[in-house]
Amino acid sequence: MSTAAREFLLAASNSATLTPRETIRRSIEHYEAAAQRGRSRFLDWEGARRKCSEIKWEALNHLDKYLLEFEQRVKARGGHVFWAETAEDARRYVADLAMQRGVKTVVKSKSMVAEEIHLTPALEKQGMRVFETDLGEFIVQLRDEPPYHIVTPAMHLTRADIAKLFTEKLADFMTPDATVKDDPAQLVAAARRALRRAFVSAEMGITGANFLVADCGMVAITTNEGNDRLGTALPRVHVAIAGIEKVVPRLENLGTLWPVLATAGTGQQITCYNTLIGGPRAANEVDGPEEFHVVLLDNGRSELLADPEQREVLQCIRCGACLNACPVFRTVGGHAYGTTYSGPIGSVLTPHLRGLNEFQHLSYASSLCGACTSVCPVKIDLHHHLLQNRRNAVHSADRPWLERAAFKLWRWNMMGSHRFATAGWLGRNALSVLYALGLGGSALDPLRPWTKYRAAPAIPKKSFRASWRKRGAD
Amino acid sequence: MQKVSLFIPCFVDQLVPEVGIDTVRVLRRAGCDVDFPEAQTCCGQPAFNTGYWDEAREVAERFLRVFRSAEAVVCPSGSCTTMVRNFYPELLKGTKAGEEAGSLGKRVFEFSEFIVKVLGIADVGASFPHRVTFHDACHGLRELGLKDEPRALLRSVRDIQLVEMPCSEECCGFGGTFAVKFGMISAAMGDTKAGNAEASGAEYLTSIDPSCLLHIDGILRRRHSPVRAIHLASILAQTAEASEPAHTMAEARKTE
Amino acid sequence: MEQIDNPGRERILSRIRSALTKPAPQHAAMQAAQIFAPVFDPLARFQKECTDNVAECILTPDSDATAENLRSLLQRIPSGEVYVQDAPVLRRIAEKSISGRPIRWSSEGPPNEASQATITLAESLVASTGSVLVASCDGGRAASVIAPVHIVVAGQDQLEPDLDAALTHARERGLAARNSFLCLITGSSRTADIEKILVLGAHGPRRLVVLLAQHLD
Repeated sequence: MSTAAREFLLAASNSATLTPRETIRRSIEHYEAAAQRGRSRFLDWEGARRKCSEIKWEALNHLDKYLLEFEQRVKARGGHVFWAETAEDARRYVADLAMQRGVKTVVKSKSMVAEEIHLTPALEKQGMRVFETDLGEFIVQLRDEPPYHIVTPAMHLTRADIAKLFTEKLADFMTPDATVKDDPAQLVAAARRALRRAFVSAEMGITGANFLVADCGMVAITTNEGNDRLGTALPRVHVAIAGIEKVVPRLENLGTLWPVLATAGTGQQITCYNTLIGGPRAANEVDGPEEFHVVLLDNGRSELLADPEQREVLQCIRCGACLNACPVFRTVGGHAYGTTYSGPIGSVLTPHLRGLNEFQHLSYASSLCGACTSVCPVKIDLHHHLLQNRRNAVHSADRPWLERAAFKLWRWNMMGSHRFATAGWLGRNALSVLYALGLGGSALDPLRPWTKYRAAPAIPKKSFRASWRKRGAD
Repeated sequence: MQKVSLFIPCFVDQLVPEVGIDTVRVLRRAGCDVDFPEAQTCCGQPAFNTGYWDEAREVAERFLRVFRSAEAVVCPSGSCTTMVRNFYPELLKGTKAGEEAGSLGKRVFEFSEFIVKVLGIADVGASFPHRVTFHDACHGLRELGLKDEPRALLRSVRDIQLVEMPCSEECCGFGGTFAVKFGMISAAMGDTKAGNAEASGAEYLTSIDPSCLLHIDGILRRRHSPVRAIHLASILAQTAEASEPAHTMAEARKTE
Repeated sequence: MEQIDNPGRERILSRIRSALTKPAPQHAAMQAAQIFAPVFDPLARFQKECTDNVAECILTPDSDATAENLRSLLQRIPSGEVYVQDAPVLRRIAEKSISGRPIRWSSEGPPNEASQATITLAESLVASTGSVLVASCDGGRAASVIAPVHIVVAGQDQLEPDLDAALTHARERGLAARNSFLCLITGSSRTADIEKILVLGAHGPRRLVVLLAQHLD
């Protein structure tokens, strides 16, 4: 078992103590109701999914063409495009840039890619202060925790938790005479006051990108709060970092992608701010950064692209719908996964990005219920990819030798009905004896992994086939 | 008379044979000529789901041989039916057996699907005067598209009270080897399902998947729940004239 | 900026090209589907969406009435500077409606953080979502986000039925080419990060007001 697998099992078993399952359920029920309303606003939601899937398929299967078009247009406006092969390349580019520009304060908009490459610690190591500006990200940053969910980073916290946190860490910005200490509006106002300071003093704004639009050379950023807006209006340097798979061919594609992302992400018809940025402030413009940099991150994506069976995994628009639908996510929560990307997409993607051997357990930690596949707005066949990852693991990664041996035995057993019936008869009788001797549940009990959590099954005396043989046409 | 070849899942054969016996009784009452090809063993799903596709492939090819000449294959398990219909084509892609898989896929049916969609019957003369809730097993729901068929059969049962539970479509947590590899998570998911069944006020929880039911039954009894797990076939097998109570998943098996 | 060494670029492109020599399966191509319900009465729809989004849409017959509405709006906003996009129509309206408080024009530079309100034009309005499309030429980037109140002065002829139409026309007018920044704004800034409870006025404006004249002159 890999270290990551061991940690996952431990974290999963502790998860309910750290975050009550009720809290997660409530948040997801809220989402479900909103998402259902959102889907019903479409005349043809299934058609919208198909269309988005087609747009992303087109982009991915001509990825070089669209990336080059995007790059050319960004550069034509005076922007810079840096292609980062690895997380280290991306970190170094941004950190060096910040150093060279004398950046002391950075405001950051939500970016899973920035999480993936651990950008913030790299900047902090250079003595820079980095402020997460998305409220959920800001909250978990104050708690020194990773985000719990790719869209709602603080869904595991109650307002009381957040009030306590802010009283401790944002005392200067809280209203001292507030009667209701955990009123969400007051808490948001405190965060707004605190972060305004950062926005106006920051020299660099870092954002992710929901989409990279090739035919107009613009990064598309979606938020409800407007933190991305301030972060790309006030500081003098803007860095947008995105995975290479984020590119889409045309501006018009956003007419479908924006509403679908909003619906699947939060149940909204459309998110409050859908921003498009193509370059630094132009000569005739009132304001905006002097410099615009786009960092295109590979970090294992081109390898996944080379797998025709699973290439479509790169279609993901990071909406979080699969996390919300997943009964495993609902049970263990986002932190237990221990990875940047959690839930079904994380379980499919992480073995590709970070190694099958180390992370195959995530693809096994699923009951394959298929809820994820049924909600994915770009129609990624998520649970089938989990199966394919498992097959790949058996072929080319380490599996427990006992498991390999067990399936060889299983295969032998199933290749003949007589041996199957005999083995079944032997097994049932051995178990009956074992239980009669009171050894049920002991180390000798082969059903122990099952009965650890469930009442033991009754062991039948006769199999179906034995009864059939006896009574057959009865 | 409709000829039916029974496909009895390996673990039903060995662990909960009543599900198979009740399936036969219902199909016969519905006018079928039921046969059980004794050469069958397993559809290969456990190996397939765990990533052991080479082993699964061999077993699948044998399965195809066993049922090659069957007119209609009926199985009291949504997940096993899904394996044959939806996953055999992928597993056997590029092999000689691949085409046969497509043909068998058209001839294999889940139990409730067969009665409602092929035989065209909803009323099989059953009687079960209890409050019952239906668990939408994942494969049956999402892979086979079955939601109304089992409910149609249940609604026609005399004196039954069908109630819906919250989150009936949420996975129970069985998931094959997941149930033992990630037992804690599986059990927690099962507890959620059990809680929802209890909240519905039902006396019985039923489904078309005996693997789900084995797991849910284990969870229900562990928490001393008033709810009992029972397979759809065992409910439908009960008639008003029945001398014995219906077979739940928990019952000790009778001696023969 | 100096030309930066980027050997990774060629390597990434080469890996992509090599990857794409293997074709991937595609879901069956679909016939064009009608994904969104058509919008028959854009004005009514725009008003309804604004209400749902907690944005204020005030109908006025002409610029004079717009000015009158603006005046009464500003009366209820705390004293302090307002930032106004420097455009002829806004100059005229401001003259009739803004008094007793300092005005900073976009021609003077970006807005001050302490602005009480900003007033801009828009590029178009989208009826199906109740959205306002702004660009950097509409007073810059900060104008539509920095103050607690953002007031948009628009005309009904700017109404587009839906997003597809708005984006198509944006392209035809060369909006993306002529501006480094575009933003589709729908309602006031908001967050639900705390227990999924909706709070308005996160980082952006708490209030978005659209003064919608029949004609903007």
